[in-house]
Amino acid sequence: CRASGDGKSEKFQPPPKPVIIDKQKQRAERRFLSPEFIPPRGRTDPLKYYMERKDMIQRRKVFNIPEFYVGHVLAVTTADPYANNKSNRFVGICIQRGGKGLGATFVLRNVIEDQGVEICYELYSPRIQAIEVLKLEKRLDDNLMYLRDALPEYSTFDVNMKPVSRLDHEEVPVNELQVRMKPKPWSKRWERPKYNIKGIKFELPESKMKEAQKWSQPWLEFDMLREYDTSKIEEKIWKEVNEGLKK
Amino acid sequence: MRLSVAAAISHGRVYRRLGFGPRGRLDLLRNLVTALVRHERIETPWARADEMRGYAERLIDYAKRGDTDERAMRMANFWLTEKDLIHKLFKVLAPRFQPHPGSYTRLLQIPNRDELDRAKMAVIELKGNPLPPLIRPRRDSEKTLLNQLLKGYREDLQRAAAP
Repeated sequence: CRASGDGKSEKFQPPPKPVIIDKQKQRAERRFLSPEFIPPRGRTDPLKYYMERKDMIQRRKVFNIPEFYVGHVLAVTTADPYANNKSNRFVGICIQRGGKGLGATFVLRNVIEDQGVEICYELYSPRIQAIEVLKLEKRLDDNLMYLRDALPEYSTFDVNMKPVSRLDHEEVPVNELQVRMKPKPWSKRWERPKYNIKGIKFELPESKMKEAQKWSQPWLEFDMLREYDTSKIEEKIWKEVNEGLKK
Repeated sequence: MRLSVAAAISHGRVYRRLGFGPRGRLDLLRNLVTALVRHERIETPWARADEMRGYAERLIDYAKRGDTDERAMRMANFWLTEKDLIHKLFKVLAPRFQPHPGSYTRLLQIPNRDELDRAKMAVIELKGNPLPPLIRPRRDSEKTLLNQLLKGYREDLQRAAAP
C-alpha cells in the first residue's frame, strides 16, 4: 500500500531502461581500413586489384590479421621447417608498412643480444601462423627507419613481453617520444625536410639544421596534382571488404 | 653493365619538364593560371595549356569548398599572384561552377605560331565566360537531300494528323 499517494490515478511507471553502451558498435563506428587495400594511382586495370582484394578477404576469413599501425609492438609466429617446434616467434616494433594488395609487407625491428635485427614479413603469406599485438601505440611518423641510427635502447623489446591490454575501443594512443640518435654519420640524412620526421630530438648545431633547410621544397605542398584523394575509394572498398567478411 | 636509365625513356612520368626545374615549372603554371582567371581565355603553347588545365580545375574544386576553408585560402593565395583575383575566384567562379561536377575548362588547338619555332598553340578558356564563343555549332543546310526528305516526311505527318 502506498502511503504517499497522489490524487491522480497513478499508472505503473516502469523503471528507465539501463543504457548499455555497446562496445562493438563503437568499434564498428571507428573504421580502420588496412592501407594495403587502397589501390595506388596508376594506369593498371582495376580488375587486378579487385581480384587481389577477393583473395585478401578470403585469407582474412581464415586467419585474423589485427589492426596495427607503425609503432606497434607485434609478435609474429611463422612456420619454419628448420626450427625445433617447426615454428619461429619474433617480437619487434613495426617500422614500416609497405606494398599494396597481396604483397603487403611490414618490417619488425628488435635488438637481440646487442645485434639489431629487422625482419620483413608478408601479411598474407601462408607461412605466418599468428600475429599478436603486444603494445598498441602510434608514433609521430609513418616510417620509423631512423631507429637504425637511434640509440639501441629505443629498439629493444623484451621477447617474452606480455600483451598490454587496452580496453579503450575509441582511439589508438599516440606516443610523442623524441628519440635520441647516435652520433653522425647516419644511414640517411634524417634532418632534411624531405623525410619530414617529427620523432627525433635533433642535437645538431643550428647551422647544420639551417643548412638542411636548403633542400626544402616549399612548393611541393601546393602542387595539387600530387594529392591523391582516397576518401571515396575507401568508402567503396570498406563496404566491399565488410560484405566479404560477413559472408 | 648499364647502370643508368637511358635519357629518352620516361615510363609512367606524368609531369612535363617546363621552365627551370620543378620550381620553375610551378611558377610558369602559376602565371598561366593567374592569367586564365583574369582573362578567362588565353592562348599559349599546347603543352603548357595541357599541364595548366589540371591545376586550374583542381583550384576551382578547392574554391568550391568556400573561402572560410583555411586550406582553400592558402592554395588560392599561392596560385594567384594577383591578389584581387582571389576575390574573383571565390565570389564569381566558384558559384558559376557549383552545379557542374568537373571539367570547367575547354582546350582547343589553333594553327601553329607564326614565329620561327612554329609551336603547337592552343586556346584554353573557362566554360561560361562572357566572351563570344570560339566554335559556332553549325546546323546542316536545308538543301541537302536527307534534310529535304526528312522535311517532306514531317509535312506528310502533319497533313495526316491535321484532319
